[in-house]
Amino acid sequence: MGGIVAVGDSGKESMHIKPVEKFDFFHDERVRSIFFQFLTVLVVCWVVWFLVSNTAYNLEKRGLSFGLDFLGLVAPFDPDFKLISFTVGVDTYGRILLIGILNTLYVSFLTIIGTTFLGFSVGIMRLSSNWLVSKVALSFVEVARNVPLLIQIIFWYSVIYAVLPRVKQSLDLSLGAELAFLNIRGLYIPWPVPGDAFWMTIAAMLVALAGAWFFRRWARRRQDITGRSFPVFLPVAAIIIIFPAFVFLITGSPLAWDIPRLEGFNFAGGASLPRAFISLLMALIIYHSAYLAEAVRAGVLSVSKGQSEAALAIGLRPNKVMSLVVIPQAMPAGVPPMISLWMNIVKNSSLATAIGYSDLVAVFMQTSLNTAGHAIEIVGITMAFYMIISLTISGLLNIYNKRVQLVER
Amino acid sequence: MAFVKTTPSMARKAPLSEGTLLGWLRLNLFASVFNSILTVFVLFIIFFTVKALWIWGIADAVWVADTRRECFNININGACWAGIIAWLDGIFYGRYPRDELWRINLGGIMLFIWMAPLWLPRVQGKILVGLSTVALYPFLAGYLFAGGDKGVFMQIMVTAAIVALAANIANAAIGFFINGNLPDFIIRSIRQNEAPEARQRNILLAILAALFIAVFVWQMNWTVEVVSWTRWGGLFLTFVIAGIGIASALPGGILLALGRRSKLTVIRVLSTSFIEVFRSVPLITVLFMATTMFPLFMPEGFVLNKLVQVIIAVCLFNACYLAETVRAGLQAIPNGQYEGAHTIGLGYWKTMGLIIMPQALKHMIPNIVGSFIGLLKDTTLVSIIGLFDVLTILRSISKDGPWLGLHQEALVFGAMLFFVLCFAMSKYSRHLEAKLSTGHKN
Repeated sequence: MGGIVAVGDSGKESMHIKPVEKFDFFHDERVRSIFFQFLTVLVVCWVVWFLVSNTAYNLEKRGLSFGLDFLGLVAPFDPDFKLISFTVGVDTYGRILLIGILNTLYVSFLTIIGTTFLGFSVGIMRLSSNWLVSKVALSFVEVARNVPLLIQIIFWYSVIYAVLPRVKQSLDLSLGAELAFLNIRGLYIPWPVPGDAFWMTIAAMLVALAGAWFFRRWARRRQDITGRSFPVFLPVAAIIIIFPAFVFLITGSPLAWDIPRLEGFNFAGGASLPRAFISLLMALIIYHSAYLAEAVRAGVLSVSKGQSEAALAIGLRPNKVMSLVVIPQAMPAGVPPMISLWMNIVKNSSLATAIGYSDLVAVFMQTSLNTAGHAIEIVGITMAFYMIISLTISGLLNIYNKRVQLVER
Repeated sequence: MAFVKTTPSMARKAPLSEGTLLGWLRLNLFASVFNSILTVFVLFIIFFTVKALWIWGIADAVWVADTRRECFNININGACWAGIIAWLDGIFYGRYPRDELWRINLGGIMLFIWMAPLWLPRVQGKILVGLSTVALYPFLAGYLFAGGDKGVFMQIMVTAAIVALAANIANAAIGFFINGNLPDFIIRSIRQNEAPEARQRNILLAILAALFIAVFVWQMNWTVEVVSWTRWGGLFLTFVIAGIGIASALPGGILLALGRRSKLTVIRVLSTSFIEVFRSVPLITVLFMATTMFPLFMPEGFVLNKLVQVIIAVCLFNACYLAETVRAGLQAIPNGQYEGAHTIGLGYWKTMGLIIMPQALKHMIPNIVGSFIGLLKDTTLVSIIGLFDVLTILRSISKDGPWLGLHQEALVFGAMLFFVLCFAMSKYSRHLEAKLSTGHKN
């Protein structure tokens, strides 16, 4: 680029325009820079060597081995909650790890869905022009944010215990139809058992989704060309619901329901969500909704009022103003906090260990560590799992930020 | 034929001003039919919620009883606050020996006295006050809480802390009542204000040394009974962990943030990976790592107690979070500020310390305080790894004979405790932000 050198905050480039001066070894920036970096590398190497040699010595002295072989050993305990089968005395620590990961992802996924609903509702309430509504939302946000999550989790855990009835007097949530039950142990719901031909319904669903996408693209192109909009929402809803339903019926409704029944002292059949899971889910959703509500509010407020006023002035309806003008502009400010909230949800679900939900930390880092030892490997694997999750999510965030930046001027 | 109005139409009635109560209600609660329905509906919900809470928490609550059974006999619908009242000492001090509670109280009062000058007008040397709180107070308080024999280093630090506290009080009193600072006041009161500077300095140093020696001799015979860390607990322990965490996370965070923005590749890469590793894992895994892996990392015979391990973990973890907050603040500083600082010939540390950091930190006060609030809330996690923090104590109430099963009241009390602390902190940070704001916002 030649003569013009931008002076950055580093000041390094500014050397080009410095007057010629005598080379002073101790005050030269490059020499110092190399020296300090060399020093840092040296210190880090020493620290690493120190830790590794200590660990090796300690392991040897205690007669402990190092390695991932223990994942193949038979685990002597049974996790309380699992999405895949587990047989005590047969299955290994590797399977325990898998159960823990699945449980963590499961509760995080449900929390994200619940948080999205509750958080957006509270965020919109917070923006309401109705003073009372906005203050109620504010109180919810302040209480949910300022009480430690762990206290909330344990609180719901104990409240559920105190409020819900015993197994014999279970609440029938289906109003007498005896399909879903709620009691002190948790929630019992019917669970679908897909038949042989059910895959066709799923295939139909996929086809319908693809069709809806193409339809939406056609409608948008038509609007670009002719300027006339074509209603999208209702046709899309119809495609997505009616086609799979039709296929489902003509293939002979290949779906049975496994309904929970009271057998002895507990329910059998169906799907059950234990008390720990429900209270964890409730607390996680409430806690993170408060943060999401604030992100939603900040996002909407970041769009200047002139934008919505101008949109109203050219005759857009209030809902169009929201969907076409405010929300697209609010996204860049609102989405990054939302995505880092997902990361926090995954991380905070680890508090499950306090009430005994079998998440990764509880089942692997606590129980397995106590029975199998291998502290370093177990802590390492657990941390690696969370790191992978957060790297994935921050990768998504980076992609999103890049896309948003392109749209900006 | 067009219709042309020849007479002006009557002026419409002025809308109700927002200043009047009626106008405000109209505008904010009953602006439209939908809004009115909403308002009534919300009022309805609020009424029932508040009523239920009132009946449970206050109207039907039992305040004086000896057991939970007695609470039930008096009124089964209300909260049994009697149990919380009976356990108040435990909630605040954990299992600290009851005869030694004065030490915790004294430590708290000293912290208050130490930091109070920061909020007093006209007091000079506030930076020194703040630094000494972080650098010296912990030694004095640490000895007060832990007790036992003092090593030489501890004796020196305790002495220094006592001298600093005395000087701090005197300086604050002088500043508040008669304007000025302690050194000037001493010089003036011994009529040496005409003397050369070196002489003045020597006098001050001599006084300081004399004071130091006097205090040192006195404290040699001052010992307090040993209280093992295993007996520390309750809100006290929560405050110890959060206090050390806050005091060390900010400097740590600043260093890490500078490291991450450094132009030295090695330092940048190391800081970045350190920050990212700690930020991507949950605190509970870091705590487990601290308690299970530290013993393996350390050389033989070097035993750290669990409390120290936990504190180290909390500090490292929060330093990384603060580093990102500080970095965000640094990124908001326009390049012109760096260039300006370079132009007047400031080096790296002076640029950062005098120009960039003050602006960046001021900018990020709400976020920094937000991190502190997060830290305070996160200290409850130490209950999972078996320290007797306030949450552990609250949970153990329900396992205590007479109060068996007292869960909700204890947790509600804990929730209120944290709510008050965190809410006050966040409100204060807003106030501080507004007070320090020198920008041209609106």
